[in-house]
Amino acid sequence: MSMNATIQAEDVTLRYGRKTAVDDISLSVDSGAVYALLGRNGSGKSSLVRCLLGQLKPDSGNAKLFGEDVWKHRTRLMERVGVVPEDPDAPPESRVKDLAWFSSKLYSRWQQSAFDRRIARFGIPPAGRFGELSKGQKKQVSLALALATSPEVLILDDPTLGLDVVARKSLFEEVLGEMADRGITVLITTHDLAPVEGIADRAGILKDGRLVLDEEVETLKARFRRIRFTSQPMVLAQSNLVAASVRQWGTGTEAVVSNYDDVAFARLQIPVAEVSPMSLEEIFIAVAGEEAGVES
Amino acid sequence: MFDINPTNAAPIWRQIEEGMRRMISLGTLAPGGAVPSVRELAQQLRVNPNTVARAYQRLTDAGVFAVRRGEGTFVAEVPSQLKKSERNEALRDAAGQYAGTALSVGATLAQATSELENSFERLTREHRRKA
Repeated sequence: MSMNATIQAEDVTLRYGRKTAVDDISLSVDSGAVYALLGRNGSGKSSLVRCLLGQLKPDSGNAKLFGEDVWKHRTRLMERVGVVPEDPDAPPESRVKDLAWFSSKLYSRWQQSAFDRRIARFGIPPAGRFGELSKGQKKQVSLALALATSPEVLILDDPTLGLDVVARKSLFEEVLGEMADRGITVLITTHDLAPVEGIADRAGILKDGRLVLDEEVETLKARFRRIRFTSQPMVLAQSNLVAASVRQWGTGTEAVVSNYDDVAFARLQIPVAEVSPMSLEEIFIAVAGEEAGVES
Repeated sequence: MFDINPTNAAPIWRQIEEGMRRMISLGTLAPGGAVPSVRELAQQLRVNPNTVARAYQRLTDAGVFAVRRGEGTFVAEVPSQLKKSERNEALRDAAGQYAGTALSVGATLAQATSELENSFERLTREHRRKA
């Protein structure tokens, strides 16, 4: 575990009755870094996030923020954390400016001007009623509320779900601006990796309550390649290259290799081969199967 | 400006570094001219500001960019050249990718070389026109 960890899970296990929702998970997000946590509904994503927010007490292990146990010191620690929930909720009749007034009473570091400017950039009228906003606008209001508290940590729970391209773009612009201005630490849970491709420093994938992958994006992208060649897959066995997946491709082979290096591959002397780097999304599908990738 | 390619083998900080060097050698960014702030470029390319900052730091260390306190980042007045070893390495990396593409479409060495010459001439022409 890094000394610099701002968000940290240490062997966290959470059970609902006989079902283990979070199974011995350890992860850490360094100060100023962005961590993307991928998992579909039921993977344990929400349960893990709720442990990290001090809303659920792990059956074993510790969830820490800023190095302190978040369950024990929830009120004090949450003052420094901004959260944009998957489905932002507020009384439908309340006005946007009333929600801001309410938050301003709760947070000592509230910045009204930051909230006003952001809402204006999003094009949301302060007198608009929450219940009449679109899903994208509700997310935008929620982000404006979270960032106006000058958080050191921002947690975005499936931020792109139900958002169109324009709303998604403006949401990430605000987050990136805040990162540039204040160096905040960000945890994004998502089912869709394309929008966080250039943003996440580190990525993890949750499957059935377990963290099956947890790695720096740069090293992940350096070691994975898709290789298509005309011969049979056996040729790969002559090298130390490890195939994460292999399938027939035309009369030849398509393999995803998880420890690619030019020298090992050149030694195989495969006559015609196409070697392609992969996007984060493609890597995750290769590692965790189709069902872990895009879904609605 | 340039785009970041998610399926490029090069890390994003290097894509930014190369993109900036390319814009300078083509004259899109002039010596002494201001470059976008880390914040602006991060928002425009939709990449982590730390990644942009890393590319800018490397360009500053290499003497391509100059930082003026309180004013921002500028293209150096006297553009620095890459060291010979660095230039060779950059060429070898890019040539490897290009050769891979050429092989994958079944092109001959002569065809690939001819396309390379065409691109080289076109970019040089554009550079002269802008200069």
